[in-house]
Amino acid sequence: MGLRLVRIDDRLIHGQVVAGWLRTLGAQRIVIVDDATASDEFLREVLTLAAPQGVPVEVCGVADGAARLISLAGTPEPVIVLARMPRTVLALRHAGVPIEVVDLGGMGAGPGRRRLHKTISISPDELRELRELEQMGTRVEIQIVSDDRPIPFRSLDSSN
Amino acid sequence: MRSFRIVIAGHGTLPAALLATAELICGQIPDLAAVGLEPTETPDHYADGLRAAIGHDHRPVLVLCDLLGGTPFNMASAIARRSPRVVCIAGANLAMVVEAALAAGTLDDALVERLIEVGRGGIVETERHRARRVS
Repeated sequence: MGLRLVRIDDRLIHGQVVAGWLRTLGAQRIVIVDDATASDEFLREVLTLAAPQGVPVEVCGVADGAARLISLAGTPEPVIVLARMPRTVLALRHAGVPIEVVDLGGMGAGPGRRRLHKTISISPDELRELRELEQMGTRVEIQIVSDDRPIPFRSLDSSN
Repeated sequence: MRSFRIVIAGHGTLPAALLATAELICGQIPDLAAVGLEPTETPDHYADGLRAAIGHDHRPVLVLCDLLGGTPFNMASAIARRSPRVVCIAGANLAMVVEAALAAGTLDDALVERLIEVGRGGIVETERHRARRVS
């Protein structure tokens, strides 16, 4: 399985990812799927600087990201996939990317956002998108650092 | 006299602790600030604090970050990419902070190379270090 971790994290690459997940999973590549980041050369460069030596960072938009991930999913190379929001993962899923589990790793608080667990807050739209992912057979879990026990989204979605 | 300002950027209480510990070694250090990222803080809010510590005058600033790829480094490297007077180094340790604090003169390439060398040079395992020292 190439896609070792598919994570929703509005910080994309940061300490928990490089010092924790990258090491735990032995991942050798990071693929960021985010239209806004893909079209911003400066952001792309800053994110490329954030990864340790020997770990390439690819930044894709949703359309080219789906094709790239479908091809990487069939290789033995361990890959970490990062997206900023559930909508992106849902689009990838609709485009046929095989995603067994999606990890909610960092979703900041803000107006109109409800706190689900620790540093994970969601909007009503995101709630719908995560439910749709589950209906499509993708498990949604909260696991902020690799040492945490994963918490099923379903157990926190009180209106289920 | 050092012509540049130093900012220690890192996670949680590490920057403040590095500053306090460096002062145990060097005495009071002028023009040195510590900016710690709180667990609930957004990257943008942290970047605001970093910019305030870097200052809005034209003085060169050395930002020493605790972890390559961490939010403090990511925010500092984004600022440094846009501002040539800001130099950003990741992987800071106490030896590097002390060396920077005691540096005289300007923030030039030679100093940056020396700081990286001092930071790396202070990392040894005693048996390997002994073998090299006595051979």
